Amino acid sequence: MRTKQEYLIRYKDGNLYCELADIWIDPSKPVKKALITHAHFDHFTFGCEEYISTKETAILLKERVGDNIKIKTFEYGEKFKINGINISFHPSGHILGSSQIRFIFAEEKWLISGDFKLQKDETCKKYEIVKTDYLISECTFGLPIFKWDESTKIANDISKWITNSPEKTSLLFCYSLGKAQRLLNEISQTNFKGNIYSHGSIHKMNNSYRKLGIDIKDTIKIENKKKIDELKGSLILLPPSLSKGSYLKNFKNIQTAFASGWMSIRALRKRSGYDKGFAISDHADWDGILEVVKKSEAKNVFFHHGDSEALSKYLVEKESINVLFFGK
Amino acid sequence: MSLKKFSELFVDLDSSNSTNNKIEVLKNYFLSNNPIDNSWAIYLLTGKSNKRFISGRYLKNLFSQIYEYPVWLIDTCYLKVGDSAEVIALLLKNKSTSRKKKLSNISLNELLSKTIPELSNLNEEEKNLQIKNIWERLPEDYHLIFNKILTGTFRVGVSIGLITKSISKLINIDEEIISHRLMGNFKPSIDSFEFLINKNINLEELNSKPFPFLLANTIEDKIFKHSVNDFQFEWKYDGIRMQLIKRSGNVSLWTRGQELVNESFPELVEKMSHIKDDFVLDGELLVWNFKEQIAFDFSLLQKRINRKSPTRSIQIKYPIIFIAYDLLEINGRDIREIKLENRRIELEKYFSKWQNKTENNISDIFKICDLIFPKDWPDALTYKEKSRENNTEGLIIKKRTSIYSSGRKKGIWWKYKVDPMQLDAVLIYAKGGSGRRAGLYTDYSFALWKDKELIKFASAYSGLTNIEIKELDKWIKKNTIEKFGPVRSLKPEMVFEISFEKIQISKRHKSGIAVRFPRITKWRKDKKINDADSLDNAYELMNKIS
Repeated sequence: MRTKQEYLIRYKDGNLYCELADIWIDPSKPVKKALITHAHFDHFTFGCEEYISTKETAILLKERVGDNIKIKTFEYGEKFKINGINISFHPSGHILGSSQIRFIFAEEKWLISGDFKLQKDETCKKYEIVKTDYLISECTFGLPIFKWDESTKIANDISKWITNSPEKTSLLFCYSLGKAQRLLNEISQTNFKGNIYSHGSIHKMNNSYRKLGIDIKDTIKIENKKKIDELKGSLILLPPSLSKGSYLKNFKNIQTAFASGWMSIRALRKRSGYDKGFAISDHADWDGILEVVKKSEAKNVFFHHGDSEALSKYLVEKESINVLFFGK
Repeated sequence: MSLKKFSELFVDLDSSNSTNNKIEVLKNYFLSNNPIDNSWAIYLLTGKSNKRFISGRYLKNLFSQIYEYPVWLIDTCYLKVGDSAEVIALLLKNKSTSRKKKLSNISLNELLSKTIPELSNLNEEEKNLQIKNIWERLPEDYHLIFNKILTGTFRVGVSIGLITKSISKLINIDEEIISHRLMGNFKPSIDSFEFLINKNINLEELNSKPFPFLLANTIEDKIFKHSVNDFQFEWKYDGIRMQLIKRSGNVSLWTRGQELVNESFPELVEKMSHIKDDFVLDGELLVWNFKEQIAFDFSLLQKRINRKSPTRSIQIKYPIIFIAYDLLEINGRDIREIKLENRRIELEKYFSKWQNKTENNISDIFKICDLIFPKDWPDALTYKEKSRENNTEGLIIKKRTSIYSSGRKKGIWWKYKVDPMQLDAVLIYAKGGSGRRAGLYTDYSFALWKDKELIKFASAYSGLTNIEIKELDKWIKKNTIEKFGPVRSLKPEMVFEISFEKIQISKRHKSGIAVRFPRITKWRKDKKINDADSLDNAYELMNKIS
């Protein structure tokens, strides 16, 4: 058994770190060199000397934070070397540009799953099964109560939700990067043919997706002083940050919903304060995590991003997989 | 017609926060379904008397056994979800791979009057097999409803009030009438639904049913602008609010929770049945200290509530009294529309008439409430402060000219409660909440000092705002000393002001005291644990009032 210090990748100050390459993965504080798995803000921090990511992630990041960052990019599957360690990005199916990161050093393979999902999503590359010895996996939804419905079914539910209340303006809250585009892609294939509006932050990301060659349905950018009659029966996509506070006063006769994996639980749905919840997630559900653990053929697994206690115990008891802990 | 429709109704009701929306949804449901299923829907939604066929624990164990899931994993899921029926429904997803014919069209009536009751006739093995069979044949969307019916935990935020309003809208009849028809044990049947939606109002059939209760509001400052002479003042007793009804010779005793409790208090029913007049009285049931003419503590009343057919010795040990506040109907004449002051005159008149019949001495079990006559509002306040001495909770203040309407109508009746007692205590344990509060630590235990030790004295789970709950939850997760299942013991650091209504000696608790209705009234971030109160302070409080 090696000690924690001897692992190729370990936890340091709450972040994943590879000492041999002196490189950090999605660090939460400024460092010299940072590998970025995807362009969500909880995986990015300002002030690093150098960032390394996929081409798509780099473009999305620059759209969001400006050109003033130094990013080196690589294609999916393209191998590059840092201090003798082989590194490569592989699609993780989370959002456009999102990646798993593989490290190979002296025959030993490590894989950081990044945020990932296995479900269908036409706005990004499908999750690629990568074999590894060590797997570091996220487990945001690491309990068996989380089992996602087909995204097509959810989209149809959303379509029905809007069309069943033609008198109302339907506000659907979702993350502006990734979730919004996935929803637009799905909803455009349903029976709902009314107007779709989107908030500036979502509108911007739609354009970025289009520039990167993803076909996203055209939406109308929502202006503050829209006529109420005009909005009746239409769908408006908004970021969750606007659900509390005075922004909603711009609309009359509304119904609200939140699109998130957490909405599969009634208590959370009720507590969230939205009228309705649609359980759709860009993270893997329980079966998804188990499938990735199995297919990766990893003998050793670490979990982070989530409550991993139950998942770890289950894998040890039921699947005899060695689950390791970084410690903090 | 089917469970499918009811399942959809559940989803629709659950995904709306608007009352008007819910009423509309209900109305449409009642319009498009048959009377018997409607009747079951009302039975389930009002949820009062839903029978529990199996416990949540049983359900979890059964699932674990059938699908070889470790029980600890199901329990962990429960902490997140807070409802056994829902946990199992979520876990059942993608499990019903059976090729057997699906039960897609099963009616609510068939499920509730046949399929589920039949489970009780089976031995355990057959029962388990049958539940598994239903799970596998029932479409996934119905699992939650089915499990909830099984475990008798059907709560969807639909009150009797909502049902009343939707039916009232459906047939265009006053809410009061519908509310009246819905009182008491609602037995699901075609007849009961048709009675509910009958456009002809028949007084005869309403005979044993109570009137909707009029409730008091918490006092507001604006009342002090009026003269005290505009109001009738009564003590606010801490018993069970009831209506005592005698019509066509039959006595019935109804709680505000719409339960018929004749069987628990046979001596009262017996005595009152000898009175010649028919009547409907609104009042309070108490266990009474006849020597001192004050109420005994509520805990003694608890010894009577849940006991049907109490023995003679129980009746003597815990002697009850019905204290009438109000007369609502006399000899078939509904007098709720006349002014309170005139109803009071009637009440006093009949009481003295009944009392003077020597062959039937009712005074050992029945009286009318004494009135208080404060000179002015400061005087009323003095009375209020004295209320603990006679074991009451404060005052009830009623407008003399008011009629007896139903519900919590504003501005007619007020409750003026004594200020609660308070102690500053240290948070020592937290437990995960259930239902809406699942996944958060929301049940707390508090301790007081005894020498250098912290002794648990009360548990409370209400009083914090949602923001405070989230903040405290975060703190709890970071400051856990030990976990025992869902309970965490915590680093003693946080001080809270705990308010409660009553404090008394208790042998069952390590602290030696028990408090009633404890709740959090302030998060004392300004206090250190050494500033918290001691058990001695609690004993002082107790001595002060007795």
